[in-house]
Order: sequence, then C-alpha cells, then structure tokens
Amino acid sequence: MAEPKTKYDRQLRIWGEQGQAALEKASICLLNCGPTGSETLKNLVLGGIGSITVIDGSKVEAGDLGNNFMLDESSIGQSKAKCVCAFLQELNDAVKAKFVEESPEALIETNPSLFSQFTLVIATQLVEASVVKLDRICRRGNVMLIFARSYGLTGLVRISLKEHNVVESKPDHFLDDLRLNNPWPELKQFAETIDLNVTDLVAHKHTPYVVILVKMAVEWAERHGGCLPSTREEKKEFKEFLKSKTIALDEDNYKEAIEASFKVSTPRGISSNLRQIIDDSAAEVDSTSSDFWVMVAALKVEFIANEGDGEAPLEGSIPDMTSLTELVTGFVISSAVNLSRTLLLSSYDSETIVLLYTYKTDHCQLSCRHYVNLQKIYQAKAEADFLVVEQRVRNILKRIGRDLDAISKTNIKSFCRNARKLTVCRYRLIEDEFNSPILPELLKLLTDEDYSVAVGFYILLRAVDRFATNYNRFPGLFNG
Amino acid sequence: MDAEQQLQAIKQAKVLMVGAGGIGCELLKTLALSSFQDIHIIDMDTIEVSNLNRQFLFRQSHVGQSKAKVARDAVLRFKPHINITAHHANVKDPEFNVDFYKQFNIVLSGLDNLDARRHVNRLCLAADIPLVESGTTGFLGQVTVHMKGKTECYECQPKPTPKTYPVCTITSTPSKDQFEGGGGGVSLPLARNFSLPLARNLLTGTISLSCLVHPCLSFSHLCTPVLGCFILFVHCIVWAKDLLFSKLFGDKDQENDLNVCSNNATSSSEHAEDVFKHILDEDIEQYGRRIYDHVFGYNIEVALANEEAWKNRNRPKPTYSSDILPDKLIQQIGNLDNGATDDPSSVSAMGSLGLKNPRDIWNLEENTRIFLEALKLFFGKREKEIGNLTFDKDDQLAVEFVTAAANIRAASFGIPLHSLFEAKGIAGNIVHAVATTNAIIAGLIVIEAIKVLLCDTNSYRMTYCLQHPSRKMLLMPVEPFEPNKSCYVCSETPLSLQVNTHRSTLRDFVEKIVKGKLRMDFPLIMHGSALLYEVGDDLEEDMAANYAANLHKVLSELPSPVTSGTVLTVEDLQQELSCNINIKHREEFDEENEPDGMLLFGWTQAPPMNMDNSLPV
Ligand SMILES: [Zn+2]
Repeated sequence: MAEPKTKYDRQLRIWGEQGQAALEKASICLLNCGPTGSETLKNLVLGGIGSITVIDGSKVEAGDLGNNFMLDESSIGQSKAKCVCAFLQELNDAVKAKFVEESPEALIETNPSLFSQFTLVIATQLVEASVVKLDRICRRGNVMLIFARSYGLTGLVRISLKEHNVVESKPDHFLDDLRLNNPWPELKQFAETIDLNVTDLVAHKHTPYVVILVKMAVEWAERHGGCLPSTREEKKEFKEFLKSKTIALDEDNYKEAIEASFKVSTPRGISSNLRQIIDDSAAEVDSTSSDFWVMVAALKVEFIANEGDGEAPLEGSIPDMTSLTELVTGFVISSAVNLSRTLLLSSYDSETIVLLYTYKTDHCQLSCRHYVNLQKIYQAKAEADFLVVEQRVRNILKRIGRDLDAISKTNIKSFCRNARKLTVCRYRLIEDEFNSPILPELLKLLTDEDYSVAVGFYILLRAVDRFATNYNRFPGLFNG
Repeated sequence: MDAEQQLQAIKQAKVLMVGAGGIGCELLKTLALSSFQDIHIIDMDTIEVSNLNRQFLFRQSHVGQSKAKVARDAVLRFKPHINITAHHANVKDPEFNVDFYKQFNIVLSGLDNLDARRHVNRLCLAADIPLVESGTTGFLGQVTVHMKGKTECYECQPKPTPKTYPVCTITSTPSKDQFEGGGGGVSLPLARNFSLPLARNLLTGTISLSCLVHPCLSFSHLCTPVLGCFILFVHCIVWAKDLLFSKLFGDKDQENDLNVCSNNATSSSEHAEDVFKHILDEDIEQYGRRIYDHVFGYNIEVALANEEAWKNRNRPKPTYSSDILPDKLIQQIGNLDNGATDDPSSVSAMGSLGLKNPRDIWNLEENTRIFLEALKLFFGKREKEIGNLTFDKDDQLAVEFVTAAANIRAASFGIPLHSLFEAKGIAGNIVHAVATTNAIIAGLIVIEAIKVLLCDTNSYRMTYCLQHPSRKMLLMPVEPFEPNKSCYVCSETPLSLQVNTHRSTLRDFVEKIVKGKLRMDFPLIMHGSALLYEVGDDLEEDMAANYAANLHKVLSELPSPVTSGTVLTVEDLQQELSCNINIKHREEFDEENEPDGMLLFGWTQAPPMNMDNSLPV
C-alpha cells in the first residue's frame, strides 16, 4: 500500500504525527465496560491507540443488550470484558487488546501494582471508596487517571494526575509574536532600509504593516522621550499619526497597521502566566527533574535574563499581511476573457491565464519580496534564540549529571516556539476533593448562570455516590 | 416528560437518515440503542480506507461496499428486531420525491456537501417534514432543527458557492473558498458570530484549506509557515486538478481552458487541434511525454514569447520530458499482466516506482516519473473510467498524478515543491474528522429528534460543539433562529431581477440565475401558462428542439416575450421548489461590478467576513 497511514489520514491532519505517535505508544486500562467505558475505548481504538486492557468481572445479561452495541444475543452469559474486547479488536487490528475477567473493585484491593504498567486508567461507574483508593495508587505509580460516571443523560468526568505539562497548548486567543513593542536590532535595521515616504503609490501600499509599525514607533519614541504610546490618549494619537501617513484611500496595509497598532503598546517582557511557571519551585532542577522543567530552567535564569532581553524566545512566524493581495486565480480564470482584452491577447489558453494572473499580481512582486524578507528576519531570530536555549539546556543537563543529548533538538525547538504558551496543570487528589471541597468556588459557580446547572448536577452525582456508599444501593431503586 | 409517552413516540416514529458516513454510523447506532424501530438510510458512497478511523460500523474487509448496506447489517447484528432499510443511492435521485419524504416523521441529515444538503432541505420543506441537520469537522460540530414556519430553513442564511476554486487568498477576504466536506464537513451557518481564532486554534498545525464552517471563516491563516510559497503552489494544484486532470481523464465535452489552443501564428499544425487526444495505437508513454512536453514545455514557451509580461519577474523555465528523463521508463507497466492488483482502485504509481513515504518531497525527476507512470496506469488499468473521472482525494492514483503535475509546474515557475500528503490536503480540501465529535453530534441529533417527535417546539436548540474561548464548556446550545422572511426557499416572497431584456438571452438567465444562484438542477421556466424552458430526460423531441432554440433568444424575443413587468415562474420539480421572479428591464450594467449583466434581488448574497464577530452571549 502506497500510503500505510491512509486510515488515520483525517486525524493526522488534526494532531500531526507527534500526536499520533503518542497515541500509538499509550496503553490504556478500562475499568468496567458498560456503555460509557465501551464507547470511550471505541473512539480510542479507532484512532489507533497502542494497547487496551478491559477489566470487568460481570457476565452479559439481557439488560445489557439494549444499551451496548458491542454485545448481541450470543454474548449473553459470557464475560462482558471478553465480548467487548473482541468487538474492539475487530475495529482495529493494529491495537493490542486484552481483557481481565475480574471485578475492578477487587483488583484495586488485591493487586494495586497491576495498574502501574499503564499510561492511563479510565475508571467508569466505580464506587466512591474504590475511586479514592485507585486515585492514590495511580498517583503513586505516576499513571494518569480519568474517572467517569454517567447516569441517564447526565454524567461527570474527572482527570487526576499530579502534573500535566503542555508545550503545544494551542490556546484560543494568542497575540502573534511580532515583538513590535521591543524590536531587536535586525528588525529595526530592515525597517530602516524601507522608505515610507516614497511617492510611488504601488510601493507605498505594499509595505508590510509590520515595517510601518516598527518605523512609526521609532519616530514616535523619538518625539516622546523614548517612550512608546501607552495611555489611551497616546494610543489614539498614534493611530491618527498612522492615518496621516496614508496617501490613498485603499491602502489596506495602513488599515492593518492601525488595527494592529495596539501591539506596539503591549507591555514588554513575559506574561504573568509564564512568570508563574518559571518561578515554580519545580524549575529548581536536579537529576530527577523532567525534561519539561529542565527546559523551563534553561529559559528562566539563563535565557530570559540574558540574550532574551527579558523576552521569551521568538516564535518566528508572522501572520498574513494584506500587502500581498489579489492572488485569486479563480477570479482571474473566470474573468480571463475580460482581462485578455486589456492585455491585447487574442486568445485565452491556460498559459494566457498565467500571464493574466501574473499581470494581475504584478504589484504583488514587490510586497512579496518584502514579505519573504521579513519572514526570513523573524525566522533567523527564532533560530538564534533556539540555539542559545539549546546550549543552556545542554549545560544544565551536564550540571545535573544527565546525558547531554537527553533532550532532542526537535523537542527544544518546539519548546522555544511555544515558550510563551506553556501550560502546567496540576490536579488535587480525588480524596482531597471529596473530603475538603472548595466551598467558596462551588458557591460562586452555583450562582453563575453559565455553570449553575452543571454544578448542580455535580453535587447531585456526588450525593448519589455517597448514598450508594452508605446504603449499598442507588437512590430510587426500591420504586422499581 | 413522561418516559412512557416518549418511548411510544420513538417506537412509532419512521425516520429517514441521509448520509451513512462519520455522523451517520454513530447516529444509526444511537437511534437503534434509543429504541427507534423503523429507519431508512440513503447513502450513495462506498467505504474507503480513510473512513475506518471513525466510521466504526465498517471494517477493512468492507472497503468498496455500500455504506448504507454495511451500516444496516452491522446494526442489525446487535439489534436484530428493528427495521432498517438501506438505499445505496444518490439522495438526489428522483425516486426520493416528496411522496417518499411524506412517509417519514422526521429527517436526520449527516451529509457531507452543500448541494445535497440544499436538496434535502427543499424536499423537507415541500413535504413539510422536520429536518435535523448536522455537521462536524475536527473538534467542531453543530446540530440544527429546521421546521417549516417555526425555525429557519437550511438556506435562510446564504451559503457559499461550492465548486469554486479553493484559492486561499492571503488577505482575509472570504472570496470563493470551497466548503465541500469530506467527512461530514460542517457547512452550516455556524456562525454569524463565531470567532476566527477560536476555530483556527482547533485546527492549528494543519495545512488544510477547508473552510469549515462558514464563509466568515476563511482559514487562510492556516497556510503557514511558507505562506508566500504556499499560495502560489495552490495555483499549481488548481491547474493540475481542475484543468489538466479533468482535461485528460474527465468529460471530454466539458469546456476547459486547456482545450483552447493558442491562435498564435507560431502554432504549428502539430499543436493545432487536439493534442490531448490519445492517437490509436500510440505508445502510452509516448503519449504521456507528448502531453508533458506540450503543457510544461510548449505552453510555457508560448507564454514566454510575450516579453512584455515577463519584465520584472522570474521567467518560468520550459520543461521537456527528455531533458529530465532521457530514457524510456523501465517497463514497470509489465506488472499489468501479472494481475497482482486486480482491483483498479488500488493501482499506484508510487507503488510501482517504489516510493513509499507520502511526506517525502519528490524531486523533478521523480515527479516526472510519477506523472508518466500514473498516466500509463490510468490508460493501462483504468481505461474504462477515462472520460468520466472527476478528481477524488481518496483516489490514490489521481492524487499522485495531480501532485506530480503540480510539482512539475511549480518547478518550472521556481516555486518550492510539496509532498503528496500536503498536495492531497490542498487538492482534496480535506476535512479533518475524528470519532469523538461525531459521537457527540449524533447524540445531540437524537435528543433534538425526540423533542421534535414530542412536538416540544419551545425546547428546540441549535447546538454548537466547540471549545469556547472563555466559557469552560464544550457544548453551546442556543435558541433556533426564526425563518428569514425574504428567504426564497422557505418563504413566498417573490424575487426580482433587473436585466437588459433586449440583450440577455434565456441561456444567460438559466446559467447565471436559475442554476448559478437559485441552484436548481432541473428547472422549468414558465411565463403565465407558456412553457419557455425545461430540463429533463424524457422530453419530446420537438419540445427539446424548441427549448434549445429558446436558449439562444434574448428575453424580449421569446415566443412569449419577457419584458419589464413580466412575472416568470421558475420551478424545480425534483426539489419541489417554485419561485416567482419579477422582471425589470434595465439598460446598462457595470461590467466590473455587475459582471453577470443582471442583478437578482430578494436573494441574499453570502455576507462579507467580519473578523471581529464574537460569540453570542
Ligand atoms: Zn429559508
């Protein structure tokens, strides 16, 4: 087969090869394979998870058939774990599927070390006491835990692990890393080579807005004692200043510059979120520290304070800029006839279209060049930042007595590119949540229109579990 | 809600499901598990390998079989006592007419393209059957309830035009991006109020151009990191796919720009008419090289002849196959005879050339080999299909050919080459798809369906599945929108058309308005009781000749003249859609701003993109 990964093509385009590799390396343990657990594994198996182990001590009964499509009449009386496991294996033969016909509750009591072999344990429909025990076992063994309970049309999912560090956090809203508030020398030099006072309209309207902003900020600072616009008044004034530089109405690059002018005024230095991470005590690394924290340490004392000039490493990519426009082939093809008249061409075969197309984009040549040059400057700075961080990482690895190459170039590069967006998640023990809930937080959410329903259900489900623990049955069951 | 009453409603319901793909599989399973007893499924597709990461009712061994039928059989395995009827057919087939729809209580849609969605919407309106429409793409999803007179119909909000070029503009203009799905793609009006960064985030790191959700979301921003290059490469793909591929393997009668040869005096007889024609008994490689030299060599030379055009820019380099590959290809084609691969859909030029990794970027020589080999394989193994092929992203050989052709052209223009994986993403406008989102959406469809069956009108919700930027929630239900009073599909408001009745022909009107804007496939046009035009397979010969003659006439000279004040009735009997159009004569049209030479009012154009749109509170 020419493309062995065809089966995963549609998802590779979401999480990439790295994401897929992480999936394929993972080994998952499911406790109780009712509908919730089975459905969960189905989605993971389809995506190509490495291995699964289904643990369930029950036999299939007639009542299971209506709600779990992995079971049919021939399954009745057989081990539920075995039937579900067989179905899942059929979905994807690349997945290693195993089952254990034993009660999860019993295993938690008798064989806690069993769980340490997994990447992730998914526990469904477990009673409170077992969840608390399992959570402690997983925490000790550094195994991730997801606890899920469903009840009719409601349910809850809880993640539990000590710490989860995300490099590629892909946040929703994030300002591009243009460094307009703190341009480095090469960027300034490049901006200086471009004259904004040209009278040629074509050249004027094809100057990338980044260049406009860098230059205008310099001009502004010269007139304001070295300061960039910071108050509301000044920001307004700065926009007016930009507006005064336009020489025609349709200069989209200036419109973009005005829209993006706030980027000049954003505070320099790292975000409070990143500050919190580098100030974390885990950033004091030793030989037991994870790669993530080693890289944070390299960032912390070393890079940001020195070469970084107070900033995190540059991301190196720049956004689209309207300076490059009019590249619409579809349009060109459809209006080829009209345009060919302008070009005095008598026919319109495919090459004429190229001509027309290039004619149309003639003006883009200049801006294309600017754009590409600008791109190179950002990339070069990002590369330089990366090399420095890499050196620091190697030094730290040496200091703490680890292999110099313990962290790959690729990982360091990805870390640098995402340095501004690092995320650290820590989760309380489920036991702590049960025994000492953060009441003020719950009360606040209960009165919040967006969350009150969800939090109400959370409390109800907790009450159901407590009831089940105390009375050994679920509430309402005596009604039939 | 009384549980018994709910169960009765479910058990008595007769449900039509259109689409048995990503959403469809999950939906059919959930319907069956929710006690639905009588379900019809329509899907014309057959199972592809790339479906298997989410369409869990299908196995490797089912590849090539009908989705509808395999899905039915799979569900009957665990729910043997319910009725499922599978139709392996196009939802647009005439057998699925209004009377067919009227037998159902509700229609549930998990389709993957706009055209079919529109069709189903129109039939549901005509039959007055409620429709629950859905779509997913990656981690985004949406479910909407459309009920005539109560909520908006699928077309109340204008949709982008499909089948235009997937040209990703570097600006943020919405332009003419393509929205066709591929895995239950969302093409719903997700939002008038959807924020771009949000959606972008969900897809970061991809190169797809698919504009998933709405014209407002032109994901041009995804084209990083080599934006400049990428944009130009897109044009090579468009050229390779829409011009070259369809010229060589598609419908020969199609109008195609490659077809028209240069009228330059320089054109020799060799290049005169149909260079693309395969001469009887001509060696296929010879033929391939002839095509190659024509499109990458000769055509570029012709273009270069216009010195004026190449001032200030890099001149493309004509490329001839003998310069790249002086020798004849080794007879890989020999494996034609040993029949190792009998299934024509599995032939691959990469396979026969021993290229394995779709993420490798081939050099010019490799691209040339692939080009020639793929062409040979098409003629050797899949000759029957030639003339009827349309590009399909799941057709390995087609993707190989298009990748190679685009790369050779790119090389000639000095644009960086791309891997098959990347090229496929661009050419196929591939929609990302995962099982989880489909499962969530299918669950929501069933919840809405139950509300509809119980006539619980006030509880209908339009639900988005997305990562909200600030609210820590995955699902966002909002109240459905009211019908758009000026929607030409679900309201009776007449349209009006400004046109120069002395200059525009009936053909102009049919192409630009009836097909181009109203999206009718089988229109019938009447002036009072006089029939001006009709499309259909079973027309009387004399009528057909009449209509053909009418097409060439200007409106005012038709047998029943169309002038200012005329009201035309336009109908599509298959879509059961009828509208009236008031004609107003107008003398002049601005060539640049009104290129159609006519203007339709009461029909809403897709809105311009507004990046600052925020989510509704
Ligand atoms: Zn409507």
